[in-house]
Order: sequence, then C-alpha cells, then structure tokens
Amino acid sequence: MTPTFTPPHVPVEQFRLENGLRVVMSPDTSVPVVSVAVYYDVGSRNEREGRTGFAHLFEHMMFQGSENVPKAGHFQFIFNNGGTMNGTTSSERTNYYETLPSHQLPLALWLESDRMRSLKVTQENLDNQRNAVQEEKRLNYDNRPYSNAFLHLNELVFRNPRNAHSTIGSMEDLDEATIEDVQEFFRVYYAPNNAVLAIAGDFDPAEARALVEKYFGSIPAQPAPPPVDVSEPEEVAARFENYPDRFAQLPALMMGWKVPPRRSTDFYAVSLAAELLLEGESSRLYQRLVKGDESVVAIQGGVGERRGPSSLYLFAIPKPGRTTDEIRRTISEEIARLAREGPSPEEMEKLRNGLINDAVRGRQSSMYRAQMLAEYALYDGDPTLFNTEPERYLAVTAEEIRRAAARYLDTDNCSLIEVVPAPEDAEAAPAPAAAEGEPAEPGGPPPQVPPKPPAQPPPATKEPDTPVARTHDTSTEQPARPADAAQIK
Amino acid sequence: MSRTEPQTEDFRRRPPEPLSPRTLNLPAAEEVALSNGLRVLLVESRRLPLVSFRLAFPTGDAHDPADRPGLTDLLTGMLNEGTETRTSRQIADEVARIGATLTAGASADFTTVAATALSGFTDQILELMADIALRPSFPEDELELTKQNTLQNLIAQRGQPSFLANERVSKVIFGEHPYSVVAPTPESIEAATREELIDFHRAAFIPNNAVLVAGGDFTRDEMLRRLEELFGAWRTGEPVRRESPAPPELMGRTLHLVDRPGSAQSNIVIANRGIVRTDPDYFPALVMHTILGGNASSRLFMNLREEKGYTYGAYTNLDARREAGSFRATAEVRTPVTGDSLREFFGEFERIRGELVAEKELADAKSYLSGVFPIRLETLDGFIDQLVQIRMHALPDDYLHTYRERVQSVTREEVRGVAQKLVTPGQAAVVIVGDASAVRAQAESFAESVELYDSSGRRKNQGDEKGMERQTTAAQRADAGADSLLGVWNLDVQTPFGQHPATLTLQRDADGTATGDVTSRLGRVELSGVSLSAEGFEASAAHNFQGREYTARVSGRLEGEQLAGTIKVNLPIAPPLKFTGTRQQ
Repeated sequence: MTPTFTPPHVPVEQFRLENGLRVVMSPDTSVPVVSVAVYYDVGSRNEREGRTGFAHLFEHMMFQGSENVPKAGHFQFIFNNGGTMNGTTSSERTNYYETLPSHQLPLALWLESDRMRSLKVTQENLDNQRNAVQEEKRLNYDNRPYSNAFLHLNELVFRNPRNAHSTIGSMEDLDEATIEDVQEFFRVYYAPNNAVLAIAGDFDPAEARALVEKYFGSIPAQPAPPPVDVSEPEEVAARFENYPDRFAQLPALMMGWKVPPRRSTDFYAVSLAAELLLEGESSRLYQRLVKGDESVVAIQGGVGERRGPSSLYLFAIPKPGRTTDEIRRTISEEIARLAREGPSPEEMEKLRNGLINDAVRGRQSSMYRAQMLAEYALYDGDPTLFNTEPERYLAVTAEEIRRAAARYLDTDNCSLIEVVPAPEDAEAAPAPAAAEGEPAEPGGPPPQVPPKPPAQPPPATKEPDTPVARTHDTSTEQPARPADAAQIK
Repeated sequence: MSRTEPQTEDFRRRPPEPLSPRTLNLPAAEEVALSNGLRVLLVESRRLPLVSFRLAFPTGDAHDPADRPGLTDLLTGMLNEGTETRTSRQIADEVARIGATLTAGASADFTTVAATALSGFTDQILELMADIALRPSFPEDELELTKQNTLQNLIAQRGQPSFLANERVSKVIFGEHPYSVVAPTPESIEAATREELIDFHRAAFIPNNAVLVAGGDFTRDEMLRRLEELFGAWRTGEPVRRESPAPPELMGRTLHLVDRPGSAQSNIVIANRGIVRTDPDYFPALVMHTILGGNASSRLFMNLREEKGYTYGAYTNLDARREAGSFRATAEVRTPVTGDSLREFFGEFERIRGELVAEKELADAKSYLSGVFPIRLETLDGFIDQLVQIRMHALPDDYLHTYRERVQSVTREEVRGVAQKLVTPGQAAVVIVGDASAVRAQAESFAESVELYDSSGRRKNQGDEKGMERQTTAAQRADAGADSLLGVWNLDVQTPFGQHPATLTLQRDADGTATGDVTSRLGRVELSGVSLSAEGFEASAAHNFQGREYTARVSGRLEGEQLAGTIKVNLPIAPPLKFTGTRQQ
C-alpha cells in the first residue's frame, strides 16, 4: 500500500537582476516567519595553496561590519529583532542565512545587501577573527578524538589539492592570511553575479521583489571569477594508514571511496547503494556488523556530495578483540554481495518510501526550503530541482544500483585509516603518521560522526533539558555542511 | 572596499522599518481521555501528508534506582530490540519499509517514544509504536549486545572534553541528587537483567501519568477509534516515586580541575545552583540569560569572542528541570588565556548583578525571545514537542499562547534580582577541563580551594589535599606493617590496548580475614585468598566475561608511596598486565 503520490511541489518564482544576482522566491503562509539565504559560489575548492581555510576565515569577516552596519551588528540586528542566523563554508560554497518574523524581511535584505556591496575590513578585526577561527579549529578538530583523522581521509581519497584539503585549513595558513587577501577575495568572489538570493516563507512576492531590487539593484557586477579545476583521476590512495590519536579512547576504522559528481547519472544509483549499506538500523552493514557478527560497536557513513568527484566514507568502532582487517573484509564481502545480487524488492520499497518521507518533511521548514532552492539555483541554474530531484532518485532501478555498487564500491580503489589511541607518551599533538602499515588492535564505540545531509526530522526525543547543549541559534559560523568533510561537529 | 562610489542612497544609512506584522495562528490541541484514562492531545493539520506521535511519561533518568544509574536509558534503548511478536530485525525493517521513524529516549525528567510517518502509513506506524511501547520483550541476546556496546560507549565518551566537564559540573552542583549522574556506571550496566527491565517497564510505562500526542493529517474520530483500539486496554498502575536528596548548598568558590594532558583548549564551565522549571522567576531568568549569554549578541559572546578573541563562543545555559536546576557559563578557550577568560567571566557576573541592564538591552532580549518562538513551531514535530514539554513539566495549558506576554512583562529590576539569585560568584563551581600543568597556575587564584581530577573522573593525588581515611577496623589485631596496604588504590593497568583505570580495595572483615576487589570497566572482581605482608599482597580472582569464566593471579608490592604489580590471566596467550597504583585521596 505504497502511497502513489509524489511529494507536493512548492511554488518557485525566479528572476535575475541586471547585475547578475539570481533571486528565487517561494511563498508559504503557514507560519509568519521568513527565511533568507545568500549563497556565494566560493568554497575551499577555490583556495590556493598556502591559503587553506581562507574561504571560511572570510566568512567570519562578513560579520565584521560594512558601510552602514557596525562590527557584529549583523548578529545583533537579527537577534534583537527576533531572528536566528548563521553562515557556513563548505568545499562548494559559502552561505549566509537568517530566519525572522516575516515582517522583518526588509531588515534581512538591508543587512545582506550592505555586506555584499561594502564590506569593511580592518587589521584588528582580521586578527580577532583569526583567533576565533583558530579556537573553532581546536574546539571541533584538534581537541576531539577522530576528527582530524577524518579530515585526513579526504587527503587520501582525493588527489587534486582543490578537493583534498579541509575547509577549516591549517593553523599556519590561517596565520599567513593578510588584509590584502581579504580585500582581493571579496572583490573576486563576493559579487552579485557570483551569488544566489533565496527567500522562503510568509511574504508577498511582489513586495519582496521590489525590496530586492531596491537593496541589491545598484551593486555593480564584477568580472567572473577564475574557473576552478576540480578534476580527479579515478584512483584514490589505496592504502592503509595508522593515525595516532591522542584523545581517542578506542581504535576506529575509516574508509573512503571516490564516487561520481552529484547529479551525474551514476551518482543517484551509488548514493542509494550507500543508503542501503549504511543508513539506519535496517541497513546491511549495521545488520551484519553490529547485529550479526557483533564485531563493531557502531558504524556510520554516507556520501560527501560535491559538484566534482565526490566521496563515500564510513566510520566504524571495532569491538575489543576484533581486528580492523576482519571488519574490512566483511565490509568488502557485503559490498560484493550488493554488487552481485542487487537490492531486494523490499529494499527498493524502503528506498522509495524513505525518499518520499524525506522530501515531504523537508518542505516544512522555511530555512531548509530557502537553502535548497539557493543551492540548486547556484549549482545547477534551476531551483525547481528542489521539486523534481526526488523523482530522479525514485526512477533509479535495482539493476542500476547493483551496477553502481559494482563499479564504484566493489573495488580495491579505496582508502583506509586506522585510528590508534596514542595517549600520554606521544608528547606533541598527533601528527598523521606517514608510515603505511597493517591495522593494529581492537576497541569500542564513537562519538558523533558526520550527519546525514538531507531532510530528516529532528530527533524527536532529543533531551529538552540537556545542560551544556546549545540550541543551534546560539552558535555562529559553523564549518561546512553537506559536501564537506568538515562536518564532525 | 565599497563597490559603489560614496553613498548616495540614503535609505541604506539606517535599518529599514518593518512591514506590518502577520498573525501567528497556533494549531488547536484538543484533549481527550481514553477509557483507561490515558490523556490524548490531538492536533489536526492538513498542511502536508504527514503524521507525528509522541508517547511521553513523566519519569526519566532521575528515576533510576539509586544503585542502578542508566536503567532508564537501557530500557528505552531496548524498546525497539524486540517485542512479543517481533524481532529487533523485523522492527527495523518494518519501520524502514514505510519510510518512517520510531525512536525512544529519556531525559532527566521524562521518557518519550516518538514516531513519524507519511500519513498514508498512519495505521502501520501507530501499531508499531504501540507494540514497542506496550509489549517489549527484552530478548536476552539483544540485551547482552546492548550492554556490551554501552560499556564501550562509556569508554569512548571520555575522549570528549565536553563530557568530562558536564560530568564534573553535575556532580558538584547536584551532589546526591540523581541529576548528578550523567552516565551509567559499568557496574550498573553489567548488572542489568531481563527480569529487571520487565519489572521496570511495567512500573514506569503506565497510562495514568502518560500523555499521547497525535499531530498531522488525520481525522479526529478515526484517530481516536484507532488509539482506543491500540492503547485503551493498557492497564493502569501505581506511579513510580523516588524521593531524592536535595542538591547541596555550594560553599564558597572551588576550582575543579580535570586534568587532560595535551588538551588543545581549556573547557571552562562556571556553575551555580539554578531554579526549577516552574519557578515564578523562570521568565526573568530567561531574559537575564539572554542578555548575559543566551546568543551570539549577548554580553559574554561580545566580550570573550568579538572583543578578545579568546574563544569560538561564550554562552550561558539556563538548565531548569523539574526538581532542581543549574545556571552555567561556558567557553572553550585557548590554554594561555584561561586566567584572562576567568577574569572576564567574573567581571560580567559582577556587572549583571550590580547594575540594571539598559532599557535597550532589555527590549532586545524580549524581542529575540518573542521572535524566535514561532520558528520552533514551524514543523509539526517542533510543535508537538512543545506540547510534550508543557505536559511533562506541568506548565499551564495556555503556555504557548501567553509565552510572549510573559516575556514582555519582565522588568529591569527583575532581571537584576534574578541575576543576584542565579549568578553567584561567591558560591560557584569553576570546572576546567584542560592541561592541568598549564592551567592550574592561571586559575587557582580565582578560587578558594582546588580539587584535581583525572580524565577517568577520579580525584587525583596532590600535596595540599588531606590524606584518605584509612580503613582500620580490624587493624589493631593484625600485623601493623601488613595492614599498611589496606585501603583504596587507584590503579593504572597497562594493556595491549592502552592504559586502563581500575580501583583496588583491600580490607579486613570483622574476623580479621583480608578481603578485596578490583573494579574496572569490566566490572567488579572479587579477590580470594588474599595474603598481605608489609611489602605487598597476593590474591586470586575469577571473573565471568562475555559468558566465559577467567581466573587470574593478582599481586602487588609497595614501592615507596606507590603500588606496583601484575595481573596474570590464566590463558596461554595472555601476557601479564602490569599496573601501578596510588592511594585514593
């Protein structure tokens, strides 16, 4: 009794200003809030050598004031008018977004336009935000188990430095960034013709369009930014590495594969194969490793979507007494089985209903709608893909999934890292061991691993009174979302 | 670096006027009781073809039996691991097959079973939800697996500085109250049995104090009929009560330093006792928290991050629960500015206690709280989770409708009053997780006393602390030298997988026989045949681990103040495990 409906479409209106700014609007009167998302076509993929982490550092500078908005004024105007906001950087893009009571739409457009046209930077603010970013790096990577090892996995999967380096970058490169770099980056990438503005929620489209023209219309266009080459050879660094981790209490296994670019024909099939292998307690690897063999405490993974070559990664915590080698062999066996037999009819039904459920739930939040519309407009020039992409996934056949698993996953063309707890004695911060080696011993379970990108409803039973937990609106400028490995939060 | 010539567009100089406000129409919730008294809240919404359900009980982690921390979490973790008619695998497959979600979890004060689905699958998901909530079977093999994995998770979380900080803060603030427990002990997990979970489930999952919330695309009468079929025959019971000791009064200001050698930052938490969720001061507290540290335009964030660059973020946390609460200020800062950060924190505390906040700050905070309120209600799940909170904390039925008025009515004087009550630098716990060798000298002048802990959560040895109390009950009857080993020792055991902590206890029973045990993440192991001398001890041990019996020989000798020894497991391949020990303080 599969529902025969396809997910309801949301209205999409689009236009382009003379200066090249692409604008997408999607009205909905359910709740009197409005979300605005501005996506710039610049991410860590655009960073040159010696300036890793710069796109993200720059994102911080966008909150440091513009001609008519003082330093930190952006936060304050939004919060003090009852809104939430943030910005994130990934390999693919940098985004800025806010949700406000719907009558505050002009405020959001005033703020976003002012920093697009007249960012102000000072040495003092650059130094201050460099410090904040370095603390962000320590908080989310250097002071946590597994996080830096996970970033290193990308360096094995990708050969092209544009893809391989992390969004957070290196401390040394962050130290090198100058105010001239900031100014040049702004000039090249933060132009209206390199951005998309999306508005979703409770607003009047005619009124909104007039406001957009008023605030953004006079910002001059710039020459197109230089193209970026993210091409990759098919191979990855097919080898094992041991990664000593001072803070890990238990060993871990990480594996990475290279998969085709998002929205390419094979991408749909390979990401559904990944879903069958890794998503949830009914998945093949969970049932085989956590339940059947009882050889791992937990296993998680997913696809890192990019416009260029993308990746599939997984993360598992072996049980005491179980070797990573044994676990790796079992994972290969399960992949080979999927590549041989393909998905069952029950699995195809599961994929179908899961896709429809995610698509429908994703339509509830104005922020999610604004972000996805902006993303499709920016990457693909077509925001209506938000409505139609689920159909592309639903059209994938079992045989296509089988073939994709065979071609991209059932192969030795994958990288593996074994995280080795390296407590006290390793004095300095754990550097990635260059030595190739056999995986070592056993261990137990993990903390948080990269979240799944799409529109899952929030965990319903999330502790309402967990102390130290922060609501998302109190953190600012988190590192990347979907396409980037910098998601171990 | 403006893109335009000097500004000619005057409208850009000031923030624009808002448009006319649009009204918030909260969906109506209708309350109905089923034949067994189960209260049901129905929220019909045709916006999208979705349904969401919550079944909530007002008992949570804080209702774990005192000696069994983690039992509620184990119970909720086991609900989808098997029922009278379904295996774990069947539940996972059936839920996934309809693209739904079905989860269970507990907070300190309540337990929730949550389900979501496309409305076309309403019947299926409701039936599954009723099955796991009312008829879980806690299969032995699944329980064993869950226990093993939980034990490993307990080890893993010690790698996270935020866990270590929360563990220490909760112990200091809540004392003997169950809110002090943030994770189960290995012993408690090991001891759990199927029978115990069956009993615990029967006692805690009763309809007479539960609430069932149904939201989404359905028709009222049909939904009620279905709920009556599934939940109407569920038997009532006697609500579980647990009398808990009150949290302690904090005396003075103590620094609790959790040593994490090599730590890249100092995680600072400064905690005070807080208020309960129903305290009349809740709304003034919420506004005060918003001004001091509730978001990224609050005083702490503006000072420690935007001005000083010490941290990625500095915030406060208003943690108001059913029986007690805490108020915490937090930041993760680079190690060399730990002391400077403490100075800024305490400066901000004095300011909000001493001066009335500016009119504009008050208005801004109210505007923030009122404005973000409807954003939470945008999704079906967000809305019905609010209803769950209202019921579980016994808040007024009109809570959502009056929330914004109550925020608006808070005055500057109330903000200062509640700051003087909640922000009490004179009675505060300063918890820092970081590299003690680099942090201590910076931080100790901010407190009247210092306690040092290691990352296993145990008190560490240090010169200026008092020695442990010796257990000398039968000591006079025995050789004085031999009894110098009696007491509790913190052991570090070297294993092929790294250093593992354990606790060794040596004592004499009433008739003078030496006894003892070793407690570690593997559980508690009784020692037998203990022989003590002035130089050391020897004993045998037997331990059942994952269904197998292992025996071992444990021996140690005194080297100055330290104990050094080995554990030799009787297996052909097992190397002797070396350990060192220090007296527990």
